Amino acid sequence: MENKIIDISNEIIGSPDGRSDNNEQANGGNADPNYWRSFRELYNDPEFNKLKEREFAEGALERPDVSRMSGLSRRKFLALLSASAAVAASGCSNFREKGFLVPYNKKPEEITIGVPTYYASTCTGCSSACGILIKTIEGRPIKVDGNPDHPVSKGKTCSVAQASVMNLYDPERLKNPVERPDKLTSNEIQWPAADEKIISQLKSAASSGKEIAVIAQTITSPTARKALDDLAKAYPTVKVYSFEQYDESTKRNAYEKSYGTRNLPVVRLDKAKVILALESDFLGSEPGKIENAMMYVKNRDAFGGEFNRLYAVEGNATITGMNADYRIILRTDAIEEFVYALMIELIEREKVPTADPNLLNRLQKAGMSSFISKYNIKKETIEHLVSDLKKNKGASYVMAGSALPESTHIAVNLLNDALGNTALHAEDDTRVTVMPHSTKQEIDALISSMKSGKVGVAVHYDSNPVFLLPKDMNYADALKSVPLVVSLSEMENETTSASNIVLPVNSMFESWGDHQTRSGFMSLQQPVIAPLYNTRQKEAVILTWAAGNKDAFNTELYHKYLQDSWKAGVLASQNTDMLFKSAWNAGLNDGVVKVTAGTTAASLSSASPSSATNITTATGFKSDAFVNSTNVMTPSGNYVLMLTPNPNLGDGRYANNGWLQELPKPLSRVVWDNYAAISVQTAKALGAENGDMVKITAPNGNLQLPAFIQPGMAEGVIAVQLGYGREVCGIVGKEVGFDTGALISKNYKLSPWLYNDSVSIEKTGEKHDLVSTVEHYNIEDPLLKDIQFRRGIIQEGTYLQYKEDPEFIKKKHENRNLESINEQYVHTGTKWGMVIDLNKCIGCGECVVACNVENNIPIVGKDQVKKNREMQWIRIDRYYAGTPEEPKTSFQPMLCQHCDFAPCENVCPVAATTHSADGINGMAYNRCVGTRYCSNNCPYKVRRFNYYNFRDHFRDAVQESESFSLMANPEVTVRSRGVMEKCTFCLQRIMEERSHAIRENRQVIGSNVKTACQEACVTDAIAFGDQNAKDSELHRLMNSGIGYGVLEEIKVKPNIIYLAKLRNVYETENTEAHH
Amino acid sequence: MKNFLLDYTLKVRLPLIVFTVLAVFVITYYVSYAERNGVGYGPVQPIAYSHKLHAGTMKIDCRYCHSDVDKSRHANVPSASVCMNCHSIARKDKPEIIKLTDYYTKGIPIEWKRIHRIPDFAYFDHSVHVNKGIDCSNCHGNVAEMDVVSQVKDFTMKACLDCHRNPKEVIKNIIPGKENLQINNGPTNCGSCHR
Repeated sequence: MENKIIDISNEIIGSPDGRSDNNEQANGGNADPNYWRSFRELYNDPEFNKLKEREFAEGALERPDVSRMSGLSRRKFLALLSASAAVAASGCSNFREKGFLVPYNKKPEEITIGVPTYYASTCTGCSSACGILIKTIEGRPIKVDGNPDHPVSKGKTCSVAQASVMNLYDPERLKNPVERPDKLTSNEIQWPAADEKIISQLKSAASSGKEIAVIAQTITSPTARKALDDLAKAYPTVKVYSFEQYDESTKRNAYEKSYGTRNLPVVRLDKAKVILALESDFLGSEPGKIENAMMYVKNRDAFGGEFNRLYAVEGNATITGMNADYRIILRTDAIEEFVYALMIELIEREKVPTADPNLLNRLQKAGMSSFISKYNIKKETIEHLVSDLKKNKGASYVMAGSALPESTHIAVNLLNDALGNTALHAEDDTRVTVMPHSTKQEIDALISSMKSGKVGVAVHYDSNPVFLLPKDMNYADALKSVPLVVSLSEMENETTSASNIVLPVNSMFESWGDHQTRSGFMSLQQPVIAPLYNTRQKEAVILTWAAGNKDAFNTELYHKYLQDSWKAGVLASQNTDMLFKSAWNAGLNDGVVKVTAGTTAASLSSASPSSATNITTATGFKSDAFVNSTNVMTPSGNYVLMLTPNPNLGDGRYANNGWLQELPKPLSRVVWDNYAAISVQTAKALGAENGDMVKITAPNGNLQLPAFIQPGMAEGVIAVQLGYGREVCGIVGKEVGFDTGALISKNYKLSPWLYNDSVSIEKTGEKHDLVSTVEHYNIEDPLLKDIQFRRGIIQEGTYLQYKEDPEFIKKKHENRNLESINEQYVHTGTKWGMVIDLNKCIGCGECVVACNVENNIPIVGKDQVKKNREMQWIRIDRYYAGTPEEPKTSFQPMLCQHCDFAPCENVCPVAATTHSADGINGMAYNRCVGTRYCSNNCPYKVRRFNYYNFRDHFRDAVQESESFSLMANPEVTVRSRGVMEKCTFCLQRIMEERSHAIRENRQVIGSNVKTACQEACVTDAIAFGDQNAKDSELHRLMNSGIGYGVLEEIKVKPNIIYLAKLRNVYETENTEAHH
Repeated sequence: MKNFLLDYTLKVRLPLIVFTVLAVFVITYYVSYAERNGVGYGPVQPIAYSHKLHAGTMKIDCRYCHSDVDKSRHANVPSASVCMNCHSIARKDKPEIIKLTDYYTKGIPIEWKRIHRIPDFAYFDHSVHVNKGIDCSNCHGNVAEMDVVSQVKDFTMKACLDCHRNPKEVIKNIIPGKENLQINNGPTNCGSCHR
């Protein structure tokens, strides 16, 4: 103890020398990892240190620029003020007037004013079609969460679904059909007129034998497909295409060659003891991430069974890799070589049986030892991996990223097969595709027939091919030769602007539907609000055309069609009206209906069942696939370009959703932009810094975008996120980021998202403002910089340590228990508390979006985030330890800790922030005068100040539009300019439980309250409840041996306990830093 | 001469003026206190509905019409369809009922003038109070005697806190049948009303 104190004071006194010492250690790869968050911090950039001494960033507190202020003199201003006051006063009629109370004329029976109603539905945000539960209040959808009854999403959803209410109320949605005769001038028309024009063109196209092309993105609805088939029946020249910018096509192709079916299996990751992720971000951005993350953390519960072990081999840096126990940094195009070497190693050393001598011949290329020396990989890690895979045959799984080429996937399939890992494929469940994506050749053929004038009508069925198809396909050009281009869309996009007729369609909250992604069940979608604008359901539009009569439309058209299709299909056994109705309503109530595998999708669709809808179970690996696989991925060139999916904005569809734009990326914490992520070594070679514009040249085109130095990436790998750079979009998303479309080519060698031939990168000399939240809110005092490792903000250990001593974290800080000068208030009743399990937290950020929606948190925009003015109440702190080349990452959600001795409370001059008897640090907005003393005094930097009325300030006050006011949660005050705000532990939900308790004449039960972040957390890392309930789960977690409070030693007594991250590694040395 | 005038102004005129202004302010402040807080406000409603007749003479329970008062934060104003439960048969010929029927059949919601209002940053929960047995009349006065409803009590934070701190003295009426419920002091932390 004494030693420590002397040690600290020495460091303070001998400041400059002491610091450089420690940094040399950090740079020299000393075993002690330093925790650092950015290079500027690691290298002790003097400018950064100066910044850290400030409470707020540059520009946050400066006085406004006089020259940019209004020229109105004070005298004139006062004159105007009094004149307007006089005018206002003369307009006063009755000061006692309090407005009106307008009840329903006939109140719907399910509505109780002020009490939310929940509806089960399906999210159509992406092709996963997750089950959702929509919270509506007085008929307005205000929040989306997962449907607990849904077999796949099990009560969880991703950020896209969470934020989707903003898409519904987006003021820039298309409100009326628009006609653009010459594709330039546009005028609003009525639906019947539009339908009539289109129908006559469809008829003439069909009779003259010209193709009618319907271009869709992924279709998950069997009945929608049936409607499209009906259209094809009415007009024989109809052809339906579907595509996606980023999909699993290479994986599916490989699976088809390996097993004879394109239906990918459901992998039971919860049964895997060892997982090897090869360039696979299965936790963060790949399709199925929600389900995978849920299964992955099943074996990451310190109080449950044995931990699984995650190995990651990747060139990019993803949250999957950063969560891995062992991470091997490897160029993406060397992964196939790695798989081969691994197989040889397994066969030779571990005698994993391989029957086929052809396979062996094919494999005889290089062994692991030469591979290890070639890529400079730690030998021990490979040893562990090989022995783990061998030990856990049939209980391990190799996950390969969707961007990898077909040949790699085939090799991985072989590896999984050889290890017996196909045992993890769910037997009773497979993934099914209602309509397979068109092949590259089919799309190419469409474009050439467009150009040669063989296409009479092109219908964009809620798709955006102009933006999404590879630019070298020249789709936009081809469209010019199509006489009639129709787009069905919710918003204006690049494709609608190239269309003759644009038809506005219902959002997912206004639509009926059925969706099938699995063989065992279907999920239903129901409207929860009447269409806000003059929009129609897209399937109903198709049916109207199929009927060949503009008057065929009515608002119930598709609803009836859907019911009829179910009467004939899934619910055919319910053969009376009454039986059907009750089964149908039960289905709507649950949101899902169980179906018998193999029959549903095909029997629903009137077309002949395609191979993709047939359920064929995989039987044995076809070794021919591997032996004959010709295109082998081999490392070549200096650079590997990788395009990565965007888990928030999708393919760019949600660019106008500010909540998603402002959600920091898990590792870089960059908002409102995409960038070229490059490794530290590559950056050094280029001489590039963060924000330097670089020009990437790919085989097909080039793109200029800012560089971002991402620690932990492989040398030469360039990763760019898709989904940015929308040009025709609403005011929020327009020209945010850079369109990566120019880099995707239809003539790829590896995969559409991976290039290593003639890729180059060069600095252009320009600069771009990349805004990252990472250097914001420094928790540490700059004078004590080097002491941060001992402050225990992040406390970690290994699983072995935990097995030896389950209390090792608790014991470590027992000697830190100093006496407090404050007298502890005894909370006799309920005392709220939270536990965040860092073993389960993967750092994805879904909680942030859920909190934004629940608590009416505004979007502030890129310029304001730059000034530290983001308003998100919960943030995910990301810490790096070790070297920039090979960092060890820790994530930590940080929110108001509701300290027992909250330092913010003592300094508020107006008592706007006070403590309640149930342990909540409250904030009375109407009392706050905006001194910001509380924020200054908060050790965790979790308070947020409204520097503006951000709703008014951001992008022409788009958030103050009439439609957005419908989105607000009525149980939470909408804060105005000049007040401080912060996490309230979802006080509104606590008060709801209290009112339930009083109604039922019982005590408040802590576990009945779920905070928004907890509800949204995919991996259930957050627990909330009453600490004083001795028999509760929360009480047990709060007092566990691996729990700790952040900055416990300052004795503010936080009420959030973090469970230390345990890394499941063989090494026993403590991963935490010592001095 | 000059001195005299200045002396007079400072010694007599100024204090007089200050006194008058202050007195006027103080008197107005106190005289208008209740009115400022809305006490006595009873506007003319679009339909001359009488609480005295329905709740007083006919003894209809408040919760027949304000049916959500024990389920929700809001004590709902009944929809026209609730009125029509009786008035599709009862007193169909009366002019006010004709007006009501007209609203109902045309599907126009009735715009009642709002009488009781608390600011939107305060979250008052009717259900909590009613479920504890606190009778409506404690805040809304004896509505059963009012032909035209008007506000009788202050709806200020002080009024709320007076009761939360000392409910046993302030609460006069308990809902029949709920006398056994124990009424504790109400919560007085900011978060119980402001969130």
